[in-house]
Amino acid sequence: MNETFVTNWKSQVKKGTLTFIILNVLKNHEYYGYELIEQIRKHTEIEIAEGTLYPLMNRLKTEELVDSKWVEQETGIPRKYYSLTEAGIETLTQMNIYWENLEKSIKKIIQ
Amino acid sequence: MRIEDIKFEEKASQRIYNDYMKRIRKATASLSKTDQDDIYMEFNSHIYEAIHHKKDANEIDSLLDIIEKLGLPEEVLKPLVADKKLQQATKTFNPVHVFKALILNFTNGISYIFFFVLYLFLFGFVFLIFAKIYNPSLVGLYMKKDSFSVFVLGIINPESQIKNNIHEVLGNWFIPVMLLSIVLFYFLITLLLKFKKSINQKTLS
Repeated sequence: MNETFVTNWKSQVKKGTLTFIILNVLKNHEYYGYELIEQIRKHTEIEIAEGTLYPLMNRLKTEELVDSKWVEQETGIPRKYYSLTEAGIETLTQMNIYWENLEKSIKKIIQ
Repeated sequence: MRIEDIKFEEKASQRIYNDYMKRIRKATASLSKTDQDDIYMEFNSHIYEAIHHKKDANEIDSLLDIIEKLGLPEEVLKPLVADKKLQQATKTFNPVHVFKALILNFTNGISYIFFFVLYLFLFGFVFLIFAKIYNPSLVGLYMKKDSFSVFVLGIINPESQIKNNIHEVLGNWFIPVMLLSIVLFYFLITLLLKFKKSINQKTLS
């Protein structure tokens, strides 16, 4: 087995699906940055380079798929909460349909 | 919103934290104050929440671990700064912001090289205005006498003018035309940058 090849492939898959995973995590819930990372870890066991999440969230915001708001906390350190926009929900629906079809096709090939 | 810094129990932790936050400020210095504060507060919040989720561990170890996972501010924030700078540039039409944004995004794709070339043209027009003031008789837009093809936009010596059968066509209109070209090019570049997103999507699909 070519281990390097598999490792590279896995990291490409993770990179390619990260946006998709983030949007799905935000589907029914709003989260702040650190919590979002924890959720991704919990659901997918993907360890993301934490600092890279924030540039990615900014891109999603520019694309108007995600919105954010600062919420003051008793601790004095406010949290920035992210949620899906209407456009984000619609986009995610399309992405999920595509993913399901892709999954079916891949399963057929694997068998 | 007021920016509150995190207070640590150990002096060493405080120093590591202060240093990291200072590096964030430095890495985002070219952005607007609002964007700078936004990034600063978000990383500050991340460190704070992470520290409080790792209560059991030693403070300094937790902090080092969190900072290591976040990554070096200079590297991690590079794409964020480039994106925000581009947003700022297309929003304000400020040439300094546009130029900085182009430099920052230079490595992000061939299309930016195209924008950069357009920008060089713009500086070319500016240069020609000064050249015309300095040397009015030689600088101009030269065309072939019997056709409408442009021969040279710039400086050409009198011998070559006669040899190639060309003449200057703009005369006193040279500087106004150059000024107009600058304005047109400038709006063209900034508008194209603004629409780049949709251009990219079209090329991808």
